[in-house]
Amino acid sequence: MAVDQQERDSHTGYLTTGHEWNGIKELNTPVPRAVYFFLALSVLFSVVYWILMPAWPLGVTYTKGLLGVDQRTTVAAALSEAAIDRSLWAKRIETEGFAAIQSDPKLMEIVRMTGRTLFGDNCAACHGHDAKGGPGYPNLATSSWLWGGKPEDIFTTIRVGINSAHKDARVSQMPAFGRDQMLPRADVMKVASFVYSLANPDAKTIDPKTIAAGKEIFAANCVSCHGDDAKGNPELGAPDLTDKSSIYGGDLEAIDTSIWGGRQGLMPTWEGRLSELDRKILTLYLLDKRTVTP
Amino acid sequence: MSIFGFHYRMERKAIGLVLGIIVVASIGGLVEIAPLFTIHQTVESAPDMRLYTPLELAGRNIYIREGCYACHSQMIRTLRDEVDRYGPYSLAVESKYDHPMLWGSKRTGPDLARIGEKYSDQWHVVHLVNPRDVVPASVMPAYDWLLSTELRTDDLGLHLKAQRAVGVPYTDDMIANAPLDAFGQSNPDSPQAKGVTERYGKATTLRAFDGRPSQLTEMDAMVAYLQILGRLTDAAHKPIAQAGAKQ
Amino acid sequence: MVAQLTRTERQGAILIGLVVAICGFLLGVVGRDDPIAIHGALIFAAGILTIFLIGKDYYAPEPSDERFASYYDDPTKAGIVLAMVWVVFGLAVGDWAAWQLVNPNLTFGSGWSSFGRIRPVHTTAVIFGFGGNGLIATSLYVLQRTSRARLPDQLSPWFVLLGYNLFCVLAVTGYMMGITQSKEYAETEWYADIWLVVVWVVYFLIYLRTLARRKEPHIYVANWYYMAFILVVAMLHIVNNLAVPVSIGHAKSYTLYSGVQDAMIQWWYGHNAVAFFLTAGFLGMMYYFLPMRAGRPIFSYRLSIISFWGITFFYMWAGSHHLHYTALPHWVQTLGMTFSLMLLIPSWASAGNALLTLNGAWDKVRDDATLRFMMVAAVFYGLTTFEGSFMAIRAVNSLSHYTDWTVGHVHAGALGWVAMITFGSIYALVPWVWKCKSMYSAKLVEAHFWLAVAGTLIYVFAMWNSGIIQGLMWRTYSESGTLTYSFVDSLIAMHPYYVARSIGGLLFLIGGCIGAYNIWMTIKLPKPISETTADLPEKVTGGVSPQPAE
Ligand code: HEC
Ligand code: HEC
Ligand code: HEC
Ligand code: HEM
Ligand code: HEM
Ligand SMILES: [Ca+2]
Ligand SMILES: [Ca+2]
Ligand SMILES: [Cu+2]
Repeated sequence: MAVDQQERDSHTGYLTTGHEWNGIKELNTPVPRAVYFFLALSVLFSVVYWILMPAWPLGVTYTKGLLGVDQRTTVAAALSEAAIDRSLWAKRIETEGFAAIQSDPKLMEIVRMTGRTLFGDNCAACHGHDAKGGPGYPNLATSSWLWGGKPEDIFTTIRVGINSAHKDARVSQMPAFGRDQMLPRADVMKVASFVYSLANPDAKTIDPKTIAAGKEIFAANCVSCHGDDAKGNPELGAPDLTDKSSIYGGDLEAIDTSIWGGRQGLMPTWEGRLSELDRKILTLYLLDKRTVTP
Repeated sequence: MSIFGFHYRMERKAIGLVLGIIVVASIGGLVEIAPLFTIHQTVESAPDMRLYTPLELAGRNIYIREGCYACHSQMIRTLRDEVDRYGPYSLAVESKYDHPMLWGSKRTGPDLARIGEKYSDQWHVVHLVNPRDVVPASVMPAYDWLLSTELRTDDLGLHLKAQRAVGVPYTDDMIANAPLDAFGQSNPDSPQAKGVTERYGKATTLRAFDGRPSQLTEMDAMVAYLQILGRLTDAAHKPIAQAGAKQ
Repeated sequence: MVAQLTRTERQGAILIGLVVAICGFLLGVVGRDDPIAIHGALIFAAGILTIFLIGKDYYAPEPSDERFASYYDDPTKAGIVLAMVWVVFGLAVGDWAAWQLVNPNLTFGSGWSSFGRIRPVHTTAVIFGFGGNGLIATSLYVLQRTSRARLPDQLSPWFVLLGYNLFCVLAVTGYMMGITQSKEYAETEWYADIWLVVVWVVYFLIYLRTLARRKEPHIYVANWYYMAFILVVAMLHIVNNLAVPVSIGHAKSYTLYSGVQDAMIQWWYGHNAVAFFLTAGFLGMMYYFLPMRAGRPIFSYRLSIISFWGITFFYMWAGSHHLHYTALPHWVQTLGMTFSLMLLIPSWASAGNALLTLNGAWDKVRDDATLRFMMVAAVFYGLTTFEGSFMAIRAVNSLSHYTDWTVGHVHAGALGWVAMITFGSIYALVPWVWKCKSMYSAKLVEAHFWLAVAGTLIYVFAMWNSGIIQGLMWRTYSESGTLTYSFVDSLIAMHPYYVARSIGGLLFLIGGCIGAYNIWMTIKLPKPISETTADLPEKVTGGVSPQPAE
């Protein structure tokens, strides 16, 4: 190296390079051995890794690596291995009847654990984390079932959905009596008052005469779906109007809106998205939730 | 010592340093990027791949405008838990027409690569207007103005044209009818609706996404886009082993 | 300011103002149905303002040849002030964004203030506004000192500084209006991107022209880094931003690349924006201000060579570590991971070189908060690069990616390294350029230091915690082999950490405000008349071209 005015640094004992920039000098300290050592080590590691793994491009292909590893085959293997591990209990849930599973506390333990996450990631957005629903989305934890409460009914609902794109979807619709001019405005009000009184028999705010008039209108227009006793019809997905809980909110205004403008809630189909096992777990999870929820 | 001796001479020439930096810094990018255009397995083939309709493209642009990608990824990685939670891992072909890609780098909210048709249009509308109405714990901002802002459609043809310039195979017919198609897709009962399925295929979803067929709002576009995510091709749903074997 | 410019430089400035105003006007007219019109108006206003400011003093007497007797530091001074304005703004927006994740209603119902829009405002304001102005200001200063040559002219540095700030303003206002390309750290649209290229080319030319006239035979390490920063950022910027605009009257453009290629190019850019903007540039800063302040020689010239070329070479391969396990082919991920590991050696070599330079000056570190800023920066630099290489390992990244761990890593680097080295350098630089004995208040520097350290530690620890908890919750399986937590479970678990992060950020922001105040007060201090003679360029006279060193 060219020697300018090298000086020896008193503190470290090394020579400077002999240059100075506005007062800054540099020592010509040799590179610490550790730097070369770790550099060599990291390069060595990399070379070995390249030989084992897919690594270098070669025009229209690339080196595949001695281990033949690829992230896609790796995850496929991990998934099928996990499926085999799960099959210990999964097989039983897939093949056994609902009642048998429900009476096995061990299996139900798994259902609760698994169902909670499945429900949280897929259903809670609409039905709420506690499955208690919200405006527009039915309460699955306590209210009566729209499409019947047998495990098979619920399982089917989850598979095909309601008013969904599935070819076998359950289809239901509450007609728009007001907007489509099947009932005059005043009659809608009256029948709404009647429906309100069903779930709120103690309500004193409404004139009994209105309720009586509403009852007649109900008998003429609504019983075909909601039944003579207004307890709903699981064949049609028509809700029970006598219980405390309601999909769209049980106050007079919400009821009036339902009758005036009609309703057609959409429950997606889960057939293409969740496995049969998952859907069965969810069915059991909901049934179980019902037994523990007050 | 020779390296340092060489350097000692080179660092006296600005041009030497400049050229040195350019050469040394170019190698990595060249080796890693150029082959992505030449190795054919990089992007799988998917004959059923369809294009974004003008309405979906407009929705995508709103998604970009609002910065949804800051919180949502659209890339399900090849990891067991991600496949379990979100569905089949994402393939390169699924974003083949994405200029730019929206894979994202942060999941403050969940991945959206397979959100299409997971929820109802109505849920999306309620959620976008105020996420806390349906998910009380959500920290996602409210986007209520989407519902009241009319969608600009007059320049959609230009958008499709620019897309074609970067390689998306839109036809002249699609470009010419872009504004009509945007309206038709969001109003299934309108006379414009027929053209949409003719041009973009029978599988195209025609719905009043924001619940109001007569009005074409930014909410229509956004929900149309969310509902197509993960549904441009079925390639990812083929058995995972098969997709793996293709590599 | 204008009085310092020669008549020809004033004419040049007016011409530039005119061209800028015309471009702005055209954008405004052609794009009148599009948000681009607002930017057209802004550009137009910038052009007119330039013409007005120059025109006002156009007939002021020309500067005497005496100006050649000292370095040209006015743009540096302006750059420091701008950097401080940007940092206060950027930190405030960052903290606002942080509080929004605690309480989402803090958008106050507006579109422009929603998280997705202000997040890039934050990143751009701190990285490009604060970091970029800091880099331009210090690089012009360092370049002149280490070359012992004055800047080649007085117009081009102003063009670079103000043009660059126009770019930053376009960026930040654009994001709030929803003008964005969505490419992280390159969100600006096509017209701003083109403008930045023009500015950058001029910046590069200033560098080359000054180096060509230098009086020192050797180019100092700091300049290698500043030059790598300028060159590679230009390369990255041009390649990543190629796009086709919808029309000249639309802000919106479509990126040339799509899907997997776009992802790779974006993260080749994104990672190396970290490498050459947030690392190389600031290493250049460190290589000047740290030995100056410590009064010590650089520990090892040879180590500088190893680390400089190691960083320049290895970094460029590492971008694919942002795409582990994605649809990017596995082989690219392998390269990204292995090069990230090798990268650790030159990175630690740089950090070690800095810390070992302090040998013999540790007493100063103890007493001088300015030097302590730089020391802590070097430590955080070492820590962040170690963490980065660790996170680049595929298995680790499977946990950390998409989580707050990345955000923690970012801010260990951004707060601990980038901001600390800049604050330290600015505290050293302000008294030098404004010719004062010292900062207005050493106590306030001390207070800023401790607020910055506390803020950084709280922020980073909060995010490490939340990131790792988040990552683990997403992948935890129960004994039955199914996922234990839903996504919303993990969201709820983040809440306390988001609160902590916001508080840490607030401390850091308060520190930044104190710094801005202290600098402002220093600028206003009465100046002593005598100048130090050490800080003068080789004497040259007006027209005579100086003898180049090469
Ligand atoms: C997009 C919102 C949405 C999501 C997500 C959703 N549901 Fe529903 N679900 C509904 C709506 C709306 C109804 C009621 C349909 C109606 O009004 O007729 C419903 C009804 C049901 C019913 C029928 C209730 C009865 O009384 O018969 C069951 C069971 C059900 N959902 C279970 C689930 C499960 C399990 C999941 C998750 C895998 C789920 N839902 C996800 C919207 C949703
Ligand atoms: C064609 C069958 C049909 C007829 C006729 C019908 N309903 Fe319904 N009704 C439904 C269905 C199905 C639903 C559930 C809609 C949904 O969940 O989206 C419903 C829902 C409702 C609701 C909302 C319940 C809630 O939980 O919020 C009310 C109230 C109601 N009906 C009242 C009436 C009254 C009053 C009439 C007569 C004027 C009537 N319905 C006639 C099928 C019918
Ligand atoms: C501050 C971060 C943030 C931003 C910005 C954001 N989101 Fe979200 N998003 C979330 C969070 C957190 C959740 C989970 C809670 C919920 O469902 O609201 C979520 C959930 C969602 C979901 C439901 C996903 C699922 O699988 O349940 C959709 C769809 C969605 N966001 C779309 C968007 C769109 C579209 C935008 C932009 C217009 C956006 N988000 C902007 C944070 C954000
Ligand atoms: C007051 C101090 C700061 C606060 C409170 C803060 C807050 C934030 C927040 C909330 C985010 C979004 C994270 C997310 O999406 O979850 C963020 C991102 C970011 N910030 Fe900051 N920030 C601060 C300082 C800085 C500084 C000084 C810099 C750079 C010099 C910086 C650079 C970044 C970058 C690069 C990102 C993007 C990270 C990524 O994409 O992973 N921040 N910041
Ligand atoms: C050896 C050096 C470094 C390596 C190998 C490295 C590696 C990494 C890795 C693996 C990620 C996570 C990518 C992901 O999972 O999405 C990351 C993100 C990031 N790092 Fe580093 N890092 C290094 C140094 C630094 C430094 C010094 C900074 C300075 C601020 C920095 C800033 C960032 C930023 C801003 C991101 C976020 C990118 C984004 O997602 O937006 N890194 N880095
Ligand atoms: Ca990011
Ligand atoms: Ca850009
Ligand atoms: Cu990186």
